[in-house]
Amino acid sequence: MTPRPGLAGVEPRRRLHPLSPLLHSAKMLAALVAVISFQGAAQLGWRGFLGTLVVGMCVVTAYSVVTWLVTGYHVVGRELRIYDGVLVRRTRAIPLERLQAVDVVRPLMARLTGLAELRLEVVGGRSAEAPLAFLTVADAAALRRRLLTLAAQAGAPAGATVSEEAGPAGAEAPPGPSPGETPAGPPPPAPEAPPMGPAPTAAAHPSPPVTPQTAVPQEQHLHTVDNRDVVIGQILTPQVIFLPLAMAAVVAQYLLGAEAWSFVVLASMVAAVIGVLQQPIRRVFSDWNFRVALQVSADHHPSLRVRHGLTETRSQTVPLRRVQAVGMTWPWLWRRRGWLRCQLDVAGYSPTNQGQLPHGRLLPVGNLATAQHLVATVLPTVDITTLPLTGVPKRARWLAPWRQPVLAAGLTDQVFAARDGRITRRLVVVPLVRVQSVRLSQGPLQRLLGLATVHVDTAGALSGTAPHRPLDQARWLAAELTHRSRLARQAEHSEAQSVPASPPAPPADPGPPATDATPAN
Amino acid sequence: MGGRAATVDGWEDPRRSHRLTPVTDPSPSAPTHTRISPLDPWPDTVVWHPVSRRLVVVELIRLGLTLLFWLVAILVADRFGWPFTGPALALLAVFAVLRGITVVRAVFAWGYAERERDLLVRHGLLIRRLSIVPYARMQFVDVTAGPLERVFNLATVQLHTAAAASDARIPGLPPEEAARLRDRLAALGENLGEGL
Repeated sequence: MTPRPGLAGVEPRRRLHPLSPLLHSAKMLAALVAVISFQGAAQLGWRGFLGTLVVGMCVVTAYSVVTWLVTGYHVVGRELRIYDGVLVRRTRAIPLERLQAVDVVRPLMARLTGLAELRLEVVGGRSAEAPLAFLTVADAAALRRRLLTLAAQAGAPAGATVSEEAGPAGAEAPPGPSPGETPAGPPPPAPEAPPMGPAPTAAAHPSPPVTPQTAVPQEQHLHTVDNRDVVIGQILTPQVIFLPLAMAAVVAQYLLGAEAWSFVVLASMVAAVIGVLQQPIRRVFSDWNFRVALQVSADHHPSLRVRHGLTETRSQTVPLRRVQAVGMTWPWLWRRRGWLRCQLDVAGYSPTNQGQLPHGRLLPVGNLATAQHLVATVLPTVDITTLPLTGVPKRARWLAPWRQPVLAAGLTDQVFAARDGRITRRLVVVPLVRVQSVRLSQGPLQRLLGLATVHVDTAGALSGTAPHRPLDQARWLAAELTHRSRLARQAEHSEAQSVPASPPAPPADPGPPATDATPAN
Repeated sequence: MGGRAATVDGWEDPRRSHRLTPVTDPSPSAPTHTRISPLDPWPDTVVWHPVSRRLVVVELIRLGLTLLFWLVAILVADRFGWPFTGPALALLAVFAVLRGITVVRAVFAWGYAERERDLLVRHGLLIRRLSIVPYARMQFVDVTAGPLERVFNLATVQLHTAAAASDARIPGLPPEEAARLRDRLAALGENLGEGL
C-alpha cells in the first residue's frame, strides 16, 4: 500500500484514479441488482430489497476500495511493475520492450467521468492483461507516451536509431482504441515489429520480378491448387467414403425388417446425410480456386498471399516472420495418391485483427513436390523430404505399440521436426528461431524404460512433441534445441540489424553449430 | 534400460562441457537432490536450488483443508442416512496418508537453476518435468502470494513466454529470493532480448 522503500531512485508507486473503485463497484452493483431483482425482489419486499442493496453496496464498495488501495504501478528502470490482488497478491513485471501495444481505451462509464483505461498488450498474456483502469485521460496519454518512448530506448540495444521510432510514437498520443505503436522491440516470439525501419531481410527469398511500380506490393505466384484435386480430396474422406455403406445399411434394415417406410425415417436419413456431407462440401467451397503467392511489401518483409473460396472469396496475408510452425498431414485415404495437406501456424498480436491471426492453410491438397516447394518458401533451406528424422527404440513399443515405427524426430540448424500418427500421419516442423521453451517430461512407465518426451513450445497452436526418446537422446535434444535456437535468434537479429547501418558483428559463439549428428536410434 | 548409459555413440557431445557452463555463482553449499536424476541433465554443471521447506507446511495445510471438506461432506451425508460412511472414511484416511507422503516428497522435487541464458525448472514425482526457458523469450514475470503463502512468508514466481505451454513456475520462494529472481529475470530478459 505504501510506496515500497525500495532502492534509491525508484519512483514511488502510483495509484489509479480515486474514482476507479466507484466505477468498478458500479459495474458490480449493476450485476447485483440484476441478480436480486429477478429472483428476490418479490420475496424480499420493498424494504428487504433496499436493505440487501445497501448491504451489497457497502460490501462491494469496501472491496473496491481495498482493491484500489493495493493496486499500483510504477516504472522501475526499463520495466513496468503492476501490483494488484486483494487475497492473492500479484506483482507483474513487464519489460517495456516486450510491450506489443499500449492502447488507451475509454469504455462508456469511463467516458462519462472523463477517465480512461490503459491497456497493455503483452504477447504471453492470455487473459486481457493488466489493464490500468482507470486513469485520467491526460495521465493515460502521458503514461502511454512515456512507456513507448522508454520501450523504444530499451528496444534499441545500441542506443541509436531511437529517435525516429520515438517520434511517431509520441506524436500518436491521442486517446482512442487505436492499436498502439509497436515498440521497436527485439523480435520476440511472434509479432515481431519490423525492427528499425527498412531492413531488407529477404535474403533467402526469391525476389519478385521488379516492375516500375514500387509502391504496390509485388507478388510472385507460387501455386494454384487444381479444383479437381480439391473435390477428389474431399471425396476421399472417411465421411464421404463410408456414406454409401451407412446408407445401404439403413436401407437394408428397412427392406429386410418389418418396419414400414415412413416420412419421418426418410427425412431423418436425409438430414443425417446432409449433416455428414456438410463439412466436406464446405471445405470444397472454401478451398476452391486456392492460390498462393509470395508478396514482398514495401518494408521488404516477405509474406504469403493466400486466396481461396467459391462463394465467398477470401484473401489472407501471412507475414512469414510470424509463422510459428508448419504442419503437414497425410490422411490415410490420400496416401495412395501421395497427397498431403499443409497448414501454417501463425500467432501473435496483429494490430489489424486485434487478436490472433487466423490459422493459415498453406495447401489444402497437393503432392509432396508441391508441399516441398511451398514449405521451402516459408522456411528457407528446409527440405521436408530430407529432414534427418530418427525413430524411437523398440522398447517404446510398450508405450506406443501402434505408433512406435512411425514416431520420429529430428533437428537441423534451422528447424525441429517431429513425425507421428500411424493412420493419419503428421509432421510438424518448428523453425528454431520461433522456439519459446523446451520441456522434458517423463512418466512412470517411461522411467522404467529409460525414455522421455521432448516438447518444443511455440507461440502458436502447433508445437513439436517428440515422444519416447531414449533419455540421453532427449537430453541431447534439449541441450541442442536451446543452443541452436539461440544461435538462430542471434542470426536473425544480426541480419535485421546489420542492414540499416551499423553491423554489430555478433560475437562468435562458442560451440559451433553442430552438424546433424543424429545417430541411429 | 539399455540406453541409459551416459554415452551412446554420438549423443554425448563433448562440446557441451564448455557451452553449458554453470552460470550462477556456484555455491557448493546449495544442496542438490540426486534423487531426481532422470531429468537432471548436466548434473555436474548445473546448480539446482531447492524451494523453501516451509512450502511443505503450506501444502499440508492445503491438503488438510481438502480433507476437511470431504470429511464434512461425508458426515453430512451420514446424517441423511448414507450407508457407506465407514468405507468412505477409511478411503479418506488411506488417501490422506498417501497424499500426505506425496505432497511432502513433491515439494522436494521442485528445483530451479539459473543458467547463463536460460532458467531451468523441474518438478513432479510421478510425471517428472523439466522446463528450459530462455531469458530472451520472457514476456513478463509474475510474483504472486496467496493468503496461505503470505502467512508462511512465501511467494511464487512465474515466468511467462508467448507459448501457453511454457511451464516455468517456481512456488515456495522466500519473498526476498522471489524479488531477487524477478529482478534478475527481468534484467536478463532485457539484456538478452535479442538473444545476445
